[in-house]
Amino acid sequence: MVDGDDQPTVLVVEDERALIELYVRWLEDDYTVLTAAGGEEALEQFSEDIDVVLLDRLMPGMSGDEVLEEIRERIPDCEVAMVTAVEPDFDVITMGFDDYLTKPVEREELLETIERLLSRSQFDDIEQELYALSSKQAALRSSKPKEELDENEEFSELQRRIDELRDELNTTLPGMDDDDFVAMVRDIEGEEADSNDDMPGGLE
Amino acid sequence: MSYRVDEFGNATSFDDGVSLLMTGDSTMTNQRLLDAVAPKNDERSVVITTNTGAGTVVKELERRGADREQVGIIDCTNADSEIEGVPVRTLSSPGDLTGISLEFAKLFDQDTEEGSIRARVGFASVSTSLMYTELRTMFRFLHVFTARIRSGDMFGVFSMDPTMHDEKAHNTIRAVFDAEAEVGENETSVSGTGFE
Repeated sequence: MVDGDDQPTVLVVEDERALIELYVRWLEDDYTVLTAAGGEEALEQFSEDIDVVLLDRLMPGMSGDEVLEEIRERIPDCEVAMVTAVEPDFDVITMGFDDYLTKPVEREELLETIERLLSRSQFDDIEQELYALSSKQAALRSSKPKEELDENEEFSELQRRIDELRDELNTTLPGMDDDDFVAMVRDIEGEEADSNDDMPGGLE
Repeated sequence: MSYRVDEFGNATSFDDGVSLLMTGDSTMTNQRLLDAVAPKNDERSVVITTNTGAGTVVKELERRGADREQVGIIDCTNADSEIEGVPVRTLSSPGDLTGISLEFAKLFDQDTEEGSIRARVGFASVSTSLMYTELRTMFRFLHVFTARIRSGDMFGVFSMDPTMHDEKAHNTIRAVFDAEAEVGENETSVSGTGFE
């Protein structure tokens, strides 16, 4: 998701001008920051380049929930943190947000949340490659005798790359907590449901 | 620290954060899984069951020395089970992975303030859940779940009956795990890393 040397892109959606300015000041050193003063404006900014959206739940016009629905539709890989006035519980995760911040948002907390969400995306990316290689390896194992594979250079190279990715995966989210866990599983099932929608004869 | 296991083939303990895939016929892996996740002193056990009712799981764990207050169950068998002194969370489908993760989080929610907890996590079985989900989805779920077990320094045991799936599915799933225990009629053989 993070391309080359490019900084990750964060979209801030917030109707209070003063808060936008504050968030931009905190974020602009480490990220490419886009801003929108409301839901409609946010939709115009949508692109595949956006890695994290910081979304105020209560805005005049389009609500945060409605914007979230559009994001899930149009940029499914994107992580979304809700900014809210009241402390929510796990329900926020079943509602489709990836994380939440309670106002007033502190600088450290904001940066930490965004880093965490980026780590989750990175975990997904590594995991995706790992799946491709593991499937390939599984197919080889099922079709060739073990002795033959032991001597096969391509197979050992595959094994080496898999081990490497496993190590990377294990170090990507060392502080993974239950919020990460639940949100990531929900995303997996959400993406699965979406891909089945597109596929006639898919499950459910 | 590590998680000690008794009479478990060539393994006597598993390192913190390790997840083990247990393969074999489900009647045998069900028993061996409970052997491996039965809590020792100061440990907790959470068992996610898709093929055995919560009542039986609790009874079997008690037979292995567990106190009820050490145990938590996520019952996906669609049975209504209430057991005194044991938190039992019921889900209507073994394929409800978000539900499983959410209930898992809630079972530990009350404890997290006390700092880290020693916990064994059993999942019996991956084979049942695979009947309700795509292989790709299950693979991703298991990766995220085992990452959570690793970050929490827990010990995870996931059972699977290879005869219920094609060889490729088995080989793909096993790539997620640190170690594998092959359970036979008379012996258990552990391979991989993260155990002694």
